[in-house]
Amino acid sequence: MYLTREEERIYDGEYGWAKQVCMKIMVKLGELYDASRLIPVESAHVSGVSYKTLGDAPTDFLEALADAGEKVAVEATLNPQSLDPQYLAERLPESLVKTQLKLCEIFQKMGFKISYTCTPYYIKTPTRGAHLAWAESSAVVYANSVLGAWTNREGGPSALAAAIIGKTPDCGIHKAENRKPKIMIEVREPLEREVDYGALGIFLGKVLEDKIPLITGLRNPTPENLKQLGAALASAGMVNMFHCGGTSAKIEREHLEKITVEPKNIQETIEELTTTSTSKPDLVFVGCPHCSPSEIREIAEKMGDRKVREDVEFWVCTSRYVKEKTKSHVQKIEASGAKVITDTCAVVTWTDKLGIKTIMTNSAKTAHYAPTLNKAEVQLASLKECLKTALKQ
Amino acid sequence: MGAQIVLRGRGIVEGKCTAEALVSTKPISFLGDVDPSNGKIIEKHHDLYGVCVKDKVLCFPHGHGSTVGSYVLYSLAKNGLAPKAIINRWADPVIVVGAVIANIPMMDQVDISQLRTGDLVEVDAYKGVIKVLKSRKRGGLSKCI
Repeated sequence: MYLTREEERIYDGEYGWAKQVCMKIMVKLGELYDASRLIPVESAHVSGVSYKTLGDAPTDFLEALADAGEKVAVEATLNPQSLDPQYLAERLPESLVKTQLKLCEIFQKMGFKISYTCTPYYIKTPTRGAHLAWAESSAVVYANSVLGAWTNREGGPSALAAAIIGKTPDCGIHKAENRKPKIMIEVREPLEREVDYGALGIFLGKVLEDKIPLITGLRNPTPENLKQLGAALASAGMVNMFHCGGTSAKIEREHLEKITVEPKNIQETIEELTTTSTSKPDLVFVGCPHCSPSEIREIAEKMGDRKVREDVEFWVCTSRYVKEKTKSHVQKIEASGAKVITDTCAVVTWTDKLGIKTIMTNSAKTAHYAPTLNKAEVQLASLKECLKTALKQ
Repeated sequence: MGAQIVLRGRGIVEGKCTAEALVSTKPISFLGDVDPSNGKIIEKHHDLYGVCVKDKVLCFPHGHGSTVGSYVLYSLAKNGLAPKAIINRWADPVIVVGAVIANIPMMDQVDISQLRTGDLVEVDAYKGVIKVLKSRKRGGLSKCI
């Protein structure tokens, strides 16, 4: 692997242990994947911020980096943590809250942006064609497939190293030849609801192996539909991007293997992800991945003047940034008794410690993870059905 | 006594050491499988269940599971419980990053079926060479004290 003179100096430890170890992470991973050099990244997005998913193991290393005075070299954002300071901190055990806050402080000390969101692209949209080092898998697929930026699916430590060095190994889908579709997916009937897009993602995640798909047959999907598709695709499989619609015009299709997706595949996937049929879930949760401004507006409009039922919690999860941007809609949603929760989501907080045993959601990604990560029963349903369940009629 | 066994592989994290081999046929997820406070394998279905990785040349096919596993290797090293070296058949990013940040010599592309728990081995991860200095025919697993 070729290193510039400056990179070599860092590698040899001339700028201290912390930079050296970050450079080594990058070089060793680069060698593993046959990268010939490092390339600068426009931004880094680090996962592994929630104490619930991290546990105690990373604290030692993160603290050592922060204590060495290391700062991020590029725009660097953080994935959700494990609590919302306004709504959840006081309902969770004090020791957990304290440890989470300590982790947050370590990241802040290193200069990370206090984003706590899985949708950093709503705060700042990456430049088309820019290279990134992002770790949150749903954001990786969205960046590659919808925004036209280029990023591998980084792990927590490698995204952290990239944030500090400002570079990433030039391998995987940073190379144009590795971004071509290898399989064609024909969706037989256009999908209507966001939950259908999520289900398509789970279905494809299981059959694609590592083949990037070219998806045809989608009729005018919204960016939010594609966000659901990508988030589910990444949680069920290894693929980090898809092609569809406009981006696929120039692609040669003749030689591609082809798979057809029938409406029954979508319906069956939704049924498989649904583990309970209760009409009274403990929690109705939308906002996985975190809501966009237009989703917040849509929810506010669809709710009308209805109030949340007393026996159900209704969470709408988004980033602090989007919540601030959509204040008037947020006020309307919260006036109903719903909580617009920031910094976290149902999957990465301790729903079990909040007494939540059943979750209804419009997110296929959440439905995929909640049985294991939340020890909860799940109902996967459209936003319309979620609102119907959460609100008094 | 037969000819000395010499195995070759690819050096990933540089370093040299001589220590007892601890050999597993199963992948290891450092997050979940290993307790960072005592260095023991705590996954009940693992063939090294209850065994301590401290100061061993830890040989296993490859890593798997969460990237948080890399940090577990760092914590083990900080607590003085890390293996002396890691030998894999196939390197995966979780173990590579863990070995880098914990500064544990590491090699891959090694035929670990030639190694047995209890063998005294010399690992040279600069050159990518492992020598079996003293072979142990049948060894019970040495437990942590």
